[in-house]
Amino acid sequence: MTLERRQVPAEAWPEVVAAARASGYRFFDWLTAVDQSDDSEEPGLDVVCHLLDTSRPGSLRRLMLVTRVPEGQPLASITTLFRGAAWHERETHEMFGLHFDGFDDGTELGLRPLLLPDGFEGTPLRKSFVLAARASKPWPGAKEPGESEHARPTGRRRVSAPGVPDPQWGPR
Amino acid sequence: MAPVQLPMPRLGPAHDVAPQPIKVVLNWGRRYSLWVFNFGLACCAIEFIAASMARHDFIRLGVIPFAPGPRQADLMVVSGTVTDKMAPAVRRLYDQMPEPKYVISFGACSNSGGPYWDSYCVTKGVDTIVPVDVYVPGCPPRPEALLQGILKLQEKIAAESLTTKGVRAKYAAHRTASAAEVSRPLVPPPTRGGGTP
Repeated sequence: MTLERRQVPAEAWPEVVAAARASGYRFFDWLTAVDQSDDSEEPGLDVVCHLLDTSRPGSLRRLMLVTRVPEGQPLASITTLFRGAAWHERETHEMFGLHFDGFDDGTELGLRPLLLPDGFEGTPLRKSFVLAARASKPWPGAKEPGESEHARPTGRRRVSAPGVPDPQWGPR
Repeated sequence: MAPVQLPMPRLGPAHDVAPQPIKVVLNWGRRYSLWVFNFGLACCAIEFIAASMARHDFIRLGVIPFAPGPRQADLMVVSGTVTDKMAPAVRRLYDQMPEPKYVISFGACSNSGGPYWDSYCVTKGVDTIVPVDVYVPGCPPRPEALLQGILKLQEKIAAESLTTKGVRAKYAAHRTASAAEVSRPLVPPPTRGGGTP
């Protein structure tokens, strides 16, 4: 199975996807974004789209299209090319806050939350999103070896997940 | 959806005035016929299924995993990660169970959120939405741990003395939650040009 990776400019996004579809990549696999807002040269969101050419059984061709969308800019929707992209674009919208121009999933309801619970605020898959659970409620137990009263402290380096705030936010 | 006013739970008049030996017999009957309703939300559900199969076989303890739905169940086993999106459904199905009802929280995630404590969408323990009788620790717990949890629950049932007043006192606090808090209307399929998503 061959995988081709193509970096495309954001302005040409729908044209490139349409051309790929016309050239045989007719199976839409998935679409998502990668937060590259800490990139020094070109901060923004990488939108990744994975397409498959299933016309020749036994020799699948894969195509990965990547585009860098600058911070705050919208991207043209590809739901007119692939109906199935609607869920992926809705999820990318709610998780990253990226707006898709011309989004149409047949309901005319626009980009609305798909997976997050009702009333959720924020874009949780962005690097700037703070995972404040530890700050609002202390963890009910020992997190690291040696923290409980039964064991001696070890010299192990403390690990903390990306997005977890530092101690000044509150108890940890 | 308008909230439905459920009648308060009550026991039969015979149970209320039954002498202690009869209550022991009634408790004995209830502890060994726990129709269980499995809320399998993640990998812990596999361990629950393993516990119900031939090797561990919790039916020999009187736990019957064939409840057609929450309305016919006595025991709910929440096995897996409860997310904030799922929490209203857990609460809604718990409310549909007839009293007296019991909950076993199975696994680290439903006990406290487990490894997903820092997550933006995982409920910090199923005991924040329903009262839990027995916690089974582990990630995931072995089937033996569930058997131990069931034995603990059966000890608890054997020791309790049910009265209408007691049952109402135990569950009344949980009936004060408003319907909007714990339920949401059924979602119709989308229609072109409007309607609910």
